[in-house]
Amino acid sequence: MSGTEAFSPKIVAYVCNWCTYLGADLAGTARLEYPPNVRIIRLPCTGRIDTNLVVKAFEIGADAVLVSGCHPGDCHYTAGNYHARRRWMLFRDLLDVVGFDMRRIHFTWISAAEGKKFQQAIEEITEQTRALGPYRPYEAKPAAAACSGCAVVDACSASASAIAAPPADSPAQTRLRETAARLLSEGAVKVVIGYGQRGPAFITKPEDAARLVWNQTCFANLTTYLKRKEIRALGKPAIVLKGCDERALVVLEKESQVDRAEMHTIGMACAGMGQPKCAACDTRQTRFADETIADDAPVPPPTAERYAALDSLLQKSPEERLAFWTTEFDRCLKCYACRQVCPMCYCERCLADKNRPQAIDTSPHRKGNFAWHLSRAIHLAGRCVGCDECTRACPAAIDLRLLNLSLARAAETKFAYRAGTDPAVEPLVGAYSLNDKEEFIR
Amino acid sequence: MNTLTRDGLRKLVGEWMAAGKICVGPVRVKPGTVLFARLTSPEELLLDGWVRPANSIKELLLPRNETLYGYRVEKNRIELLDPPETIPEQIAICAHPCDAAALPILDKVFNWDFRDEAYNRRREATTVITLVCAEHDEECFCTSVGLAPDATGGSDAMLYDLGDGQFAVSSLTEKGRAILGEAEAHGGHASAPPVRFDPKQIARFAVDRFADPFWQAHSLACVGCGACAYTCPVCHCFDIVDEGNGREGVRARNWDACQFSLFTLHASGHNPRHAQGDRQRQRIYHKFHVYPEKFGETLCTGCGNCARNCPVGLGVLPLITEIPHAEPV
Repeated sequence: MSGTEAFSPKIVAYVCNWCTYLGADLAGTARLEYPPNVRIIRLPCTGRIDTNLVVKAFEIGADAVLVSGCHPGDCHYTAGNYHARRRWMLFRDLLDVVGFDMRRIHFTWISAAEGKKFQQAIEEITEQTRALGPYRPYEAKPAAAACSGCAVVDACSASASAIAAPPADSPAQTRLRETAARLLSEGAVKVVIGYGQRGPAFITKPEDAARLVWNQTCFANLTTYLKRKEIRALGKPAIVLKGCDERALVVLEKESQVDRAEMHTIGMACAGMGQPKCAACDTRQTRFADETIADDAPVPPPTAERYAALDSLLQKSPEERLAFWTTEFDRCLKCYACRQVCPMCYCERCLADKNRPQAIDTSPHRKGNFAWHLSRAIHLAGRCVGCDECTRACPAAIDLRLLNLSLARAAETKFAYRAGTDPAVEPLVGAYSLNDKEEFIR
Repeated sequence: MNTLTRDGLRKLVGEWMAAGKICVGPVRVKPGTVLFARLTSPEELLLDGWVRPANSIKELLLPRNETLYGYRVEKNRIELLDPPETIPEQIAICAHPCDAAALPILDKVFNWDFRDEAYNRRREATTVITLVCAEHDEECFCTSVGLAPDATGGSDAMLYDLGDGQFAVSSLTEKGRAILGEAEAHGGHASAPPVRFDPKQIARFAVDRFADPFWQAHSLACVGCGACAYTCPVCHCFDIVDEGNGREGVRARNWDACQFSLFTLHASGHNPRHAQGDRQRQRIYHKFHVYPEKFGETLCTGCGNCARNCPVGLGVLPLITEIPHAEPV
């Protein structure tokens, strides 16, 4: 056995029960021959094909993956394929940023009458994959452990600028404390969710309002606490919001997770908190808050391009990107700090914590970590507001922000969508358009 | 060899690596982050510019993911595949006394009723070269749990930074002498954090005030991740998982953490630690009461990593300094 001549690629095809599966069946009954390299997995609808399944196929040794469903307009369930199409558009961008070989992921529409098209697709994919050789993304050689100045030096988000010393009692801080004390003593709210000396603070008595601070350490996104049962048990909250945090609230409300009528929002004008996200921030003021507090200082405009870090990563070759992410994910401990601080991760029980079936390996080994981070990112597509809490919380300094940015840009460029900016717009994933671009689907 | 230059240390590391030993030391993985990591070259070893890495060396003994054994099914035969008998020698370089002190503590847990082979194999293959702390930060509290910036427990050799590009070396054990030779330095500069609390008082509070609203009130910020436990030098809870399919697979041991709601969730749906405050209390209760009662010492080396890594400002020291009357006696 030597080289590619002996190589027989393994191709996993996830197909829709109502069209492509019947197309494959037709190819069989019509005696159309196609290579035996394909393993067909039948699912009820392309809308049901979880992106995890694609990752799983590569995990267990597939050399290429085909996802195939009904032509637009033909879905047995009206619109499953439209939803799937939108999800793939986003998922492809994510895989590309991570450095997966995009020549090994194929999408087709094949109807029950298109036995011939199925035969051709399998022939082409088999030949193409044979030429590419075996695919072993999880055996990519990681970059050196040390930040070497580095593989993607410009993309590094970890070099947050030093946090300036908190100013002594700013007028905004004084007004924030007065507001909190007033709301609590009037009985308008039961708890004020704000920032204390060391992080989030939960003020329940007017006399404790002096524990609140407003300074350069107030970078956490407090909206994540609105989902926690311990906080909900305290009663009606008032929450301190920056403009960026408010976008999370818009998404949460759109997804029916919170009701603004049942809380009081205190908007803080923010000049930036010294975090990487702050340089490109264009939402320094809240727009819908019940009351706003602002210092006299003018709010600075953004000074950096939002996707600069992502761009410098994308200038690297797919192999370099894969090596970069391999190094990053190899540090992952699966402490789930990224998930726990995320306002959008509100599932009662996360997919990663379910074991019947085990969609994602719980082990913090390379495959388990790739599966986890890809899954986390795609579940946030069109929902992540870029608060970067995941990146800040990560004890292993994994640059998760870049994954979020890739999906944010996909949403913005392909769908003119920015999560949390317009409460009137339908959520990105959950809606679809007949005009979604499908140039990547054969 | 009573002193060693920085270059001399790097040269030794290069020799150990060339001899096939796994060398682990502080590495700057990102501009703002230093972690203990397996060195790919001696140049990666960071010899100054950090107070302590954001993780610990416990991974040398208790890897975050460890295969206990594998299986393979062929027709009617099931074959069990043991992990390799021997593992390469491992050397932790520039560990801190709060990392090294964790080893004797872990030894007790992994040997008291059951001798954990996987752990002991790694323990025997591990040599720890400790760097005496020349700096501390406000999260450090080793002196409050009976340790010191130059404590020798768990170390095979000590390095004292003499500040002129040289280390004074002291070999403490056979393992230390085997790699560094005979050496006996007599101390050097060590930077001790102030004593912040009395662990006995903490234990008393945790026992006497088990149901106190204090625990819930001071845990509201906790988001329930495992950053504290996973970067702690002594937290050692693990989960056993099977990964594979009908033909082949492995049984693996992975880290687990008491701050996850799933940690104590019963199959019935009942969770004896149903609120995050219960889980925070458990962490303190175990470290300052359960382990000391069983083994006679505190399950905390005062490294402060829990507080450094907590995304919301909690951690052992921040939590217990809120305990009434927790100031030193």
